[in-house]
Amino acid sequence: MDQITDRTTVNGKKSRSRVLEMSINGETHEITVKPRVMLLEAIRDKIGLTGTKDGCESGTCGACTVLVDGQPTLSCISLAVENEGKDIRTVEDLADGDNLNFLQEAFLDQGGTQCGFCTPGMLMSATALLEKNPKPTRDDINKALEGNLCRCTGYNSIVDSILQASDQGVKPRLL
Amino acid sequence: MILYDFEYERPGSLKEATALLNESGDGARLLAGGTDLMPNMRVEVVTPSLLVSLSGIEPAAPEKRADGSIKIDALTKLSDLVDDELIKSELPMLAEAAHTVAGNQVRVMGTLGGNLCQETRCLYYNQKHDYQFVEPCYKRGGDCCFPFPGNDHNTCWSVYMSDIAPVLIALDATLEILGPDGTREIPMADLFTGDGLNPFTLGAAEIVQAVIVPPLPERFGWGYHKTTVRGGLDFGTAIIVIALQLAEDGETCSWAKIIYGAVGQGPLRPTTTEISMKSAVLDPPLIAVAASQEISPLPHHGFNKGYLRENIRVYTERSLVRAIARARDKS
Repeated sequence: MDQITDRTTVNGKKSRSRVLEMSINGETHEITVKPRVMLLEAIRDKIGLTGTKDGCESGTCGACTVLVDGQPTLSCISLAVENEGKDIRTVEDLADGDNLNFLQEAFLDQGGTQCGFCTPGMLMSATALLEKNPKPTRDDINKALEGNLCRCTGYNSIVDSILQASDQGVKPRLL
Repeated sequence: MILYDFEYERPGSLKEATALLNESGDGARLLAGGTDLMPNMRVEVVTPSLLVSLSGIEPAAPEKRADGSIKIDALTKLSDLVDDELIKSELPMLAEAAHTVAGNQVRVMGTLGGNLCQETRCLYYNQKHDYQFVEPCYKRGGDCCFPFPGNDHNTCWSVYMSDIAPVLIALDATLEILGPDGTREIPMADLFTGDGLNPFTLGAAEIVQAVIVPPLPERFGWGYHKTTVRGGLDFGTAIIVIALQLAEDGETCSWAKIIYGAVGQGPLRPTTTEISMKSAVLDPPLIAVAASQEISPLPHHGFNKGYLRENIRVYTERSLVRAIARARDKS
């Protein structure tokens, strides 16, 4: 293993920062980052959109899921520089001001959030699924949400939420 | 954030990437999907000073060549392998194996080549430091092998957990490897050294460029099983892959291959059992016992040898039954 003694230089030189342009929720942002900055930190710390959550930091829990060119991506293990010029959508893109979108409303109706930490990731994975497959079966949903962990274990109500959002006969629960 | 600085380059072609790797020597690493490398860099078990990113290179779609073989670009995303019509119809075993890899997001990000060249895993090697509370192991430059404290200083008993590599060995695939001196082709099985410290035979500036799978014979059957604790998202406890061809009578086996993943520093094969299956009428329970006794599974992640052996026996038998049924369907 290489022993890292000086953590801010590479072979005695400062590593170069890069200026990147990326579209986040339809707005073009220009950010300056070092290569070591992850997309997650760029979104949360540089742009200030803190809806995307920092969970396990190792690509396991899915709380940091954002859509990159429509594909659900783990922003905690994707370098910001890798996403140069990409079209990124975060959970803030779903609601229109104070009006929640149909998927978020369904999560509310079904009690699909408990502590709420996994919810941004769940919503983004579900959005990607519904864009690809507007009428997913329970199995399809389970497969699509495989990479999103919920430690409150409210999986059933989350799956119900997506079934309700895709208009498949699941009625809102009376909470 | 990764806690130390490194340089980053994004070449436009694989040729430039090998040139960059060649110039930078040991300090450089290739970055494809990053789903294995990034977590490892976060916990600093690998600490490259240069990342050569392949994200600027578009992979070619899987293509059927004139001789019937299928060429798959190593940069193909795992989710594309799962969804590709050609792969689904011609190589369903490969599509199923790609589907068992981790969760949806990881499959969208991860590439075929990256899956094959993933770091070996061990509870004491590439886990978060917070969970470890121990000194570095041999592979991380320390002086104790924690899971096997009596181990010789130059060994590492970490396991190689690719779900796809055993399938490609069963399919007789060839790897096309691009190096500074041009391309070379090696059989899939030759990628592995069997040494946990340095699991691949690749040179420092070599890149797996493509995988070539020859056409499948008639009456070909396959079985695939990945044992996991929690279903999706998990690395395998044991991966069982069986490929065989039945003779025209639909009973006798012409040849068979059994490959086990995640229970050794590279994929394992019970070769004596495979030879005994040639030109024989197969008895799955007997073969499962013989195969599971022949290999020596490496205990890993809390699973002991006895458990792994029994798991392998059970799923070898079931996979073999499925493989025979699939081969009969095709005849």
